[in-house]
Amino acid sequence: MTAHSRTVRRRDSSEAGFTMIEMLIAVAIMMTVTGAVFALMNPSQGIFQTQPEVSDMQQRLRVGVDSMAKDLVMAGAGTYAGSAAGALYNFFAPVMPYRVGDVDDDPAKNVFYRADAITILYVPPTPSQTTIRDAMPKTAEQLKVNEQSNCPRTKTGEIDQHDALCGMKEGMRALIFDNQGNWDAITITSVQDEALHLGYDGELSVSYAAGSNITQVATHTYYLKTDVATKTFQLMHYDGYHTDLPVVDNVVSLQFQYFGDPLPPTLLPNKPLSGSGPWTTYGPKPPDLATTFAPWPKGENCAFMVDPVSGAQVSRLPVLGGGVGSVPLTEAMLKDGPWCPNASAPDRFDADLLRIRRVRVKLRVQVAQVALRGPAGVLFTYGGTSTGGARLVPDQEIRFDITPRNMNLGR
Amino acid sequence: MALARSRFSNFSLSDSEAGFSLAEVMVATGLLATALVAVAQLFAISTSANTSSRNTTFATVLAEQKLEQLRALTWGFDPLGLPVSDITTNTAVTPETPVGGTGLAPSPAKALQENTPGYVDYVDAWGNILGGGQNSPDGGMYVRRWSIEPLPTNPNNTLILQVLVARIRDRGTADLGNVARLPDEARLITVKTRKSQ
Repeated sequence: MTAHSRTVRRRDSSEAGFTMIEMLIAVAIMMTVTGAVFALMNPSQGIFQTQPEVSDMQQRLRVGVDSMAKDLVMAGAGTYAGSAAGALYNFFAPVMPYRVGDVDDDPAKNVFYRADAITILYVPPTPSQTTIRDAMPKTAEQLKVNEQSNCPRTKTGEIDQHDALCGMKEGMRALIFDNQGNWDAITITSVQDEALHLGYDGELSVSYAAGSNITQVATHTYYLKTDVATKTFQLMHYDGYHTDLPVVDNVVSLQFQYFGDPLPPTLLPNKPLSGSGPWTTYGPKPPDLATTFAPWPKGENCAFMVDPVSGAQVSRLPVLGGGVGSVPLTEAMLKDGPWCPNASAPDRFDADLLRIRRVRVKLRVQVAQVALRGPAGVLFTYGGTSTGGARLVPDQEIRFDITPRNMNLGR
Repeated sequence: MALARSRFSNFSLSDSEAGFSLAEVMVATGLLATALVAVAQLFAISTSANTSSRNTTFATVLAEQKLEQLRALTWGFDPLGLPVSDITTNTAVTPETPVGGTGLAPSPAKALQENTPGYVDYVDAWGNILGGGQNSPDGGMYVRRWSIEPLPTNPNNTLILQVLVARIRDRGTADLGNVARLPDEARLITVKTRKSQ
């Protein structure tokens, strides 16, 4: 019997169970592996949630920088064909630290500086650069333009001629400006055989004389929209007419700083005011000494005055910072006048805006999810509910500078 | 007895129900652990890839900023046609000062390989310019070196501007010999020419 049972046991050694030692080792290994899996799972979950948000935030930062940089670098590019060829800062200020347009216009509310808004104008590459044929009253609804040699050609039947509309099309933004510092940006709402219909709210800022310039233009306003109640923090773009669109979400800070030419504008030698431009280093040209641009005295405008001693036309603006380097232009300097074209014009701008040579932008973005933001402070503009650890993604902030090429032509 | 035997033999015959040996379990566990470590590394890689992309973005934007600062300095002709050059503006501080710096004055030969006062500044993680000098002030995260060389064929009127932005760290052999750009760093080159109005 004993012998038999031993035989059975021997035969089925695979069912003998584990010894205590084996059990302990097995359990220890299992515990280690399970422990490791859990130790890995916890942060992995955080990383899994966090990293896509981090890269999303970085992408938004890049988009913000790129979209503003590409417009800022073009700022001030002027017409390059026809009689008024030259950068826009020889006529008016193409960079303005506030919102300009038909809807919610800042100058209409007497606001002439906002740290978180900028308006940029430039003439894009376009053949549509010409002059207006007839004088335009303030309430003009349509206009005719001169056919110039740079205008595109059209072929109607056998007749091949310059386009009577100089290539202007429905929906195009256009700029009308003269030599006195007046300007208006309008939208072309429809076109007829020979006339352009204009779209703008209210009325033009002045009556334009025949021969004033008209060109296709790009108008861009960037500003920060902050609405804590609905948690909307957006970098916005406004086209100057009727459309506001968000560019980037979760932008919590946007600031513009301006650096300028320390030297005041001067008249270029050997450039008679009656000839072709540019006539000045920058800024609108003054009239000749016998002519008046009301309400300025004879021979003067917002940028130039007649020196009482020498009788020559000299700058109205001071030399800044010893005349060297790039000088920070403060809020006070940019909204204290002298005003161009004059202090009562609806589209007036501070003559110091003509000095702008470089714009510094501060842009700050936050992570989109509230659960990834910690308490408000240095790292977080708007606090969140993060429990810390891997689920803590601080705001990212960057500063960049742009030197608009067409506002630094002599530099 | 016969019954019992047949039962036992049935069990022992069925090999598939025999369970695993310790060695098998160990091998399986080892494989699992290796796989887990590999997967865990993916998380680490994704984190470091994001960090690296952030550093590359910042380095590029900061390099661009320095180039734009240099571009804005006067390098033209006055209304009478005489050349005007800004060689004193200090762009390493905020706001820039009209004196105390090097402006667009030509840089020493090794300005991109070593911190050369006048041709270097330091920036913190938020993009604030902290100042120049041989060593970074507290809080510096990026070092920006720039060089200004006259173009050999037109030395009086044309400059080659270069900027190299790197995390503040020992760049090792990258600072020896030719100018090198390591991963996460940015190096931009442009040309500036005097223009008359």
